[in-house]
Formats: sequence, structure tokens, C-alpha cells
Amino acid sequence: MAKCGLLGCLVAVLASGSGAQTVIPSTVSAINSPTPLSQRVVHYEIDARYDAKAHTLDATEILTYHNFTGKPLDTFPFHLYLNAFQPASTYMQERERDSTSGQGRGQPFPGWNPNNYGASEIRSFEIVDQGDLTSQLQFTHPDDGNQDDRSVVQVRPPRPVPPDGEVQFKIRFHDQFPEVLDRTGWDRDFVLGAQWFPKVGVWWHGAWNCHQFHASTEFFADFGVYDVRLTVPQNEVVGASGVRVGVVRNPDGTQTVTYHGDDIHDFAWTASPHYRVHEDTFQSSLGPVRLILLMQPAHWGQLDRHLHVLKEAMDRYGRWYGPYPYKTLTLVDPEPGSQAYGMEYPTFVTGGTSWLIPEGIREEPEFTVEHEFGHQYWYGMVATNEFEDAWLDEGINSYNDVKVMDSIFGPATSWVDWFGATGGASERQRDFYIGVPDYDPLSRLGWQFRNDASYGAISYGKTASVLLTLESLIGEDTLRQAMRIYFLRYRFTHPGKEDFLKTVEEVSGKDLRWYFNQAVYGTEVLDYEVNKVSSIPVDWFKENLREQKGVTEYVSDVWIHRKENFIFPIEVEIRFDDGERVREHWDGQDRWVRFEYKKKARVVSAEIDPDHKIYLDRNHFNDSYTAEANPAPASKLVNYWMFVSQLFAQLLTWWLT
Amino acid sequence: MNLLMMGAHIASRNKRYVVWFYLLNLVFAWWGASAFSLAAHNILDHSLYAGRILHGMDVTVVTELFVNPRLGTPAAHGAPSTRLAVACLAVSFVFMPGVWLAYSSDHRISREEFFRSCGHNVWRFLRLVCLFIIIGGIVTGVLFGVQSSLVNAADRTSNERLPFLLMVAGMATIFLGATAIRAWFDLAQADVVLQDQPAIRKSLAAGFRAFRQNWAVLLRNYVVIVLAAGAILVSGILLWHAIVPPASAAGAFLISQLTLFLLLAMRFWQRATAVAFYLGQLSQTDAAEPARMPFPASALSIQQ
Repeated sequence: MAKCGLLGCLVAVLASGSGAQTVIPSTVSAINSPTPLSQRVVHYEIDARYDAKAHTLDATEILTYHNFTGKPLDTFPFHLYLNAFQPASTYMQERERDSTSGQGRGQPFPGWNPNNYGASEIRSFEIVDQGDLTSQLQFTHPDDGNQDDRSVVQVRPPRPVPPDGEVQFKIRFHDQFPEVLDRTGWDRDFVLGAQWFPKVGVWWHGAWNCHQFHASTEFFADFGVYDVRLTVPQNEVVGASGVRVGVVRNPDGTQTVTYHGDDIHDFAWTASPHYRVHEDTFQSSLGPVRLILLMQPAHWGQLDRHLHVLKEAMDRYGRWYGPYPYKTLTLVDPEPGSQAYGMEYPTFVTGGTSWLIPEGIREEPEFTVEHEFGHQYWYGMVATNEFEDAWLDEGINSYNDVKVMDSIFGPATSWVDWFGATGGASERQRDFYIGVPDYDPLSRLGWQFRNDASYGAISYGKTASVLLTLESLIGEDTLRQAMRIYFLRYRFTHPGKEDFLKTVEEVSGKDLRWYFNQAVYGTEVLDYEVNKVSSIPVDWFKENLREQKGVTEYVSDVWIHRKENFIFPIEVEIRFDDGERVREHWDGQDRWVRFEYKKKARVVSAEIDPDHKIYLDRNHFNDSYTAEANPAPASKLVNYWMFVSQLFAQLLTWWLT
Repeated sequence: MNLLMMGAHIASRNKRYVVWFYLLNLVFAWWGASAFSLAAHNILDHSLYAGRILHGMDVTVVTELFVNPRLGTPAAHGAPSTRLAVACLAVSFVFMPGVWLAYSSDHRISREEFFRSCGHNVWRFLRLVCLFIIIGGIVTGVLFGVQSSLVNAADRTSNERLPFLLMVAGMATIFLGATAIRAWFDLAQADVVLQDQPAIRKSLAAGFRAFRQNWAVLLRNYVVIVLAAGAILVSGILLWHAIVPPASAAGAFLISQLTLFLLLAMRFWQRATAVAFYLGQLSQTDAAEPARMPFPASALSIQQ
């Protein structure tokens, strides 16, 4: 079928039950484009009914798969993500091992909470024209061999699917949602339906790529078309990926809401009786984008904060990289206190905030909303493999968090600007990384990181710092141009790490392997220090020497030390007490270098990276050294420290004596 | 003269104790902060990057400082400060009987009288503190339990503000309960010193009787003083923020210490108010037995 009316197409397929329709539609009703944007590999048609009391879902899924691999396919793996929420699963084993999550309601890690049980059970599995294969489904464990993990299931069709051929799967499944865990499930009367349907793996680099669900990994899927009918209670307000194409109120007190999505690779939805809805429009260069905000009533006063940062981020992404091509974007303010905050799905993101949070603290909602919107580009359109290359989506997105937030709120206050305290997004990202800088390289597979903390620090914070530091080598504008070309070249595809790195090298015209080998593929740590400065009178040996400013001649030495094993060229600025400033360049190849001067002036200070471009340096305090001590900064902190401890002591004595 | 004024009068006649206890508080805190101070000066004194702490308060730089291995962990630095706060409590506890004696006296007591009272009553006060911890622990524990149950129940609803509001209401209730117990034990402490009462159960009973007879008046005055203390703390912090330049270590020290000094004075005001209240109750019940009072009769004049 070349094109069909959306509803007609859906109804025809669902009504036929035979899956006779086997052409992936080339609909464009959900995008601001006259033609499809991606190579559409899949077409999911799902008819689902959600039981809000039992937190279960029963559905029928018809998946049409087009074989673009160029070779016959005789196996098909499917993700059953919800099966990860079972005690013996790989996901749970890893969560228990790391025990770094579980801050939210219903997540008592370490330990098992029965409310966290989730399951996705295939009740029947049929390949159209090839028969029922339910009994032949086999769970596989490609990553760790854990026989108890049921998050990937595989089927072998009796007849391989030929190149450029299509196959249609008809799957009946039953979901049990967990109390929200890793941004899927229920909390009170709220539900976020994410990773909720059997999803086929991706044929990538000549093989199936269908990893088990791990504690720290995210997702990977092919582009295509989604037609989804959700039946939920009538009192629920529903939001989902794609555009809403119909609502039917059923006599049994339910409603059936239908959504259609073009050129997306996942589908998420949410329902809650409490949402307050606000709709707005953003004018992208391709056409209007309908913004749908589903807000918690207690957060209604923060609606403008959400809208402001969302529109500003969309504006910058559009200008810097390329237009947002979808017709809708749904921003969900999830159930307060739940673990459903801060997650990205195509055309659908969750934010997260608290009614108490003051305007100057921008971690929530501004940072979260901006970050999740950024994922529409780095994950949504440039659909990298989140299992294997987390830094390509989370890290590039974190770098862009800095650029966008700095652009909106100013570099010094883009994260915090409240009650005299300030903080910039760039240093926030850096702080994230400097605590655990050397356990894992960026290029490590997501589930092989030392732990969840290292995964986060490296994938997010280190990548942002690597790219910010890269600006010092090729320039901010060049890196932005490289990002733009990377986006335009690889949107609606699945690029790998070398695609990104080669694009940067190509656009900058520089061989950056020496940098990427250390920063991306290595675990080298960058730390330069001003080891020592000294100014000694040339006539130091004379008796009764009287030093006079501007008269006495000094030999001044500045020692620079490369403390760690990351080699990086640096600038050093030496200031003298006659006001002169000297800049030196050092390639960093040796472990240390000394700069010597003979002048009628003493060294006042020496500073590595005086323009503050090397974000990878793990310790900024030792990047400079002043000849004279200034105790004021430490005294200020000690004063705070004493105030708090005196107050604590007074409160103790207040109540106990 | 109302109770608050009488208390203020007693406290102001004996303000040297506020000064001494404040100095005690300051010295112990300085001592506790010395390791942190040394480490912070080592890292920051010669660093230009530290300017971002001095000329403002860049939280990312502070965060970097606290993950710097040369500083040591916050827990390692927090431990001596915590221990010395407890030591400050212990020393305050030892010297408190002398304060009670001074507050009940109409003349400036001698150093010898002060320390004699401290030594004479220290074990009685220790027993009182143990009982305070037991009784206060049980009452506040039950109240915290109720509060926690209510907050957990509210957390099951979708009203995001309800758990917070219940927590605030619960804290206010717990505060009132704890203040009432503190007032009762303050009266018992006054009784121990003023009556030279070796049997603390009798002092507790006397304190309870005195409190029960006019509990609303004393509790109201205690709460007023706590509110004043809260206002001083908030005002001090706001002033600190508003008028002290970020780079002025001296200005910050002065205003923070003035705030802490006034805060400490509030607690002494409470104690002085308790003494005035206790003497007032005693004068009413023991009017027929003036010979029982061990303290100078002129001490009662302020209650008239």
C-alpha cells in the first residue's frame, strides 16, 4: 500500500485479522514533511486495553517488518523489557549489586519490593501465512547468559524472510506494569506506559542487535510507523507519542484513544486523572508544532517555566542543527515523587519538578525539560545505540544542555542562581565526572561500566567535558558546524561512534585521533598543576641586599607539572608585579616543564589554561598559583562551617540542658 | 511586670553567662573546624580559581572542593565538629547549675558560689538529663511515629502538598510537645538548685506541679521566645545575604557571630523566664512558709 487514510488503514488491518496488509505505510500525517523521513523498517499496529486497577494491559500487536538487510533473515529477536522487573533478571541483579538507585517511592534497593514486579507475557505468537509459533519462542541471553533473564525472546520463522521482503507478526500479549521503575509503570493512579510491547531488535552492522535490559542501559530500535489504540478509563487524561487521531467514548465507561506516529522508533503513553492540559504552538521552520503539556495541578504555577525553556530549546536546536520535523511534542509532568521523571521517547518526554522549587534553581524543571527535549535530536532522530554507545546520546545531549542552558540563562547562572549562590551548567557536568574519572572509557558498552555511578558520570559528565574541551582545539563554531553536519547526515539512521568522530575530524580538517584515543577510547586522566613559582633576586648572595620594586632584578621560575597520564597541549599565563603578562605554550609531552625569566619584576601568579577551556582537567584549584597567599576564600568557607557547627551545638544545648 | 520582662531583666543582669557560653560555643566550633580550615587553606590560598568562591558563591566550585581528595571527605571533617558540638553540650551542662543559681539570686554571685553550685548539682542534672531523654524521647518518638504515619498516608494520595503540610503541622506539634517538656524540666532544674533538692523525682514533681498550675502562660512565653529566636536566625541570614559583600570575610564573621550570640541569648532568656515563673509559683504556694526559701527574699521582688 502506497498511502492509505490513517484510520482506514488501521481499521482495515485490525479488522482483517489476517495481516493481509503487508506494506509499511508511507503516511506523513504526523510530520511536517511531504515525504517520509526515514527508511521505515517497521509498522506497529497495537490495540491495547489498560486495566487501571490491576495495572495490567492486554493487547494485540501486528508488526510488519521490512527486510532491508540485503540477506535472508531466519531469526527475529524481540525485546520484552517489562520482564526485567523480576527478581532473578539481569536488570534486578545489577540493580541490587550497584544499589545506587531506588531513591523513589516503592524502590527499596537493596532488596526486593513485590510492587516492582513487572512482566510482559506473550499469549500467542503467529507469523502471518506461516502459522502459530507460540510454542517455539525461546528466551535468549546474549549479554550474560543469565538463564533466568526473560527480557529477550527469539523466534525462527519456518521460512526465512527474503531480502526486501516483508513479514507480519501477530502477537497477543499481557503486561503487568511495575510500580514505576526506570520510567515505566504505575504510581498511585498514574501510569507511564513505556517499553511495554514486544519490540523487534535492530539489524545493525551485519547482525541482530537485541540486548537484554540492563540496569544502566537504555534502548535501540528501528524507525517506522506506529498506529496505537489505547483503551483506558474515561476519567483518565491520556498523552502519547505521535498525533492523536481519534477518541471514542465506550459504553462500558472506557475511552479508546488512537495515535499515529511517523518516522519514530518507539511509542510511549501516559494516563492519569489528575493532569491539567495546556496546549501551545511552536513555529518551526518546517511548520507548526503542537505542544501538549500534561501538568500536575500543584505545578500549574510553573507552566510558564516549562513552556519558556521548551520553546527556547526548540528555537536553539532548530537554528543550530536543524528543524524539529514532528507535528507534536508532548511534555509530561509525571506523578510527583515517582520515578517517571526525566525520560525521553519519540515526540514524548517526561519532565519533573516539585511545587516547592524556587525559580533560580534550574535543575528542575528547566534542566530536565531542556535535556529531554534535546533527546529528540540525540536519540530520537539521530538514533544511536543506547545499549552500546550511551555517550552518543546522553553525552552529546549533555554537551548541548550546556550550550542551550548557557545561551538562555547565561554561562555563570545556567544551573543555579538563587540567594547569592550561582552555578553554570558546564561546571555541573564537569563536577559529575571528576569524582570517578578513570574507571571506564566513554566507548564502553553500557552494561559493562563499573557501576551505575560510573556509567552516569562518564556517559553524561565526561562526554560533555570532552566536547567542551574539544572546543579549545577546533573552536566552538567549528564544533557546532560538525554537530550540525552530523545531525543532518545521520538523522533517522543509527550511526556509531566513529561516524561522529570522523565527522568532527572532517569538518575541522584536523587529525584528532591523539585526543579521541585518550578522551573517548581511553581512561587517561587530565590534571596539570602549577607546581611552584619563585622569584629570587639575581644578587641574592649580596649582604644587605635591599629589594626595590622595579629596580631589583629577579630570576623567576615557574614549574608546570603534568600529574596524570592525559597528554594535552596547554597555555600558561605568568603575571609579573609590573603588570606584564606572558603566555607560554607547552605540548605536555614531558612530565614537567620550567619557564624561567630574568626581569626587574617578581612573578605574581601563574595560571594554566587562562581562558578556562580545558574542562577535562579534574582539578582546577591547582591550575594556578599565586605568589602571595590569599586566605579570604578559605576563611569564608570556614566561617560557613563554623556557623553551621555552632548552630548545631546550640540546638543540642537548647533542648538538652 | 510580665513574665517575659521579668525573664529579660534576670537575663540581662547576668549577661556575662551568655558571653561565656557564647565564647565556649565559638571556641569549640573553631576547634572542630580547624582540620577543615587547614585543608581548605592548603587548597585555596594560592589558587586563582578560589576567587569564584570569594566573589560570590559558585556552588560548582564548592562541589569540586568537596570532591577534591586533598580536602578529605566531608564526613571526616564533620566528625570532629560533631564531637566538639557534643563536647560543648557537655561543658554547658556542667556549668548550667551555676547559671540557675545566679538567676535566682538578687546579687552577683561569687565565682566560688557558681562553681560550688555546678559541682554540687552536676550528678542531679545528669540524672535529670537522662530522664529528659527518656521522657522526651518517648513523647517525641510517639509524635514522630504519628506524623510519619500521617505523612505516609498522605503520600498515597496525589495531593503533592498534603504530605508537606502534614509534615509541617506535625513538626509544629512535636515542637510544642518538646517545648512543654523542656519547660517542665527547666522548672525541675530550678527546683534542684534553688531547693538544694537531692531527690530529683521530687524536683520533677515540683516542676510538674508548677508547670501544670499555669502551663499556658509559661508555654506561651517559651514559644514567643522560640519565635523570636527563629526571627533572629532568619533576619541574621537575610542581613548576611543583603548587606555583607561576598568577599568580606570579616563582615560575614561579625554578622554570623552576632546572630549566634543573640540566638544563644534567647535560650538564656527562656531559663530566666522559667526562674521568674518558678519563683512566682513558689511564692504563691509557700507564702505561709517563708523560712523554707534558701535564696534571698529580695529575689522575689521582681515577681510582684
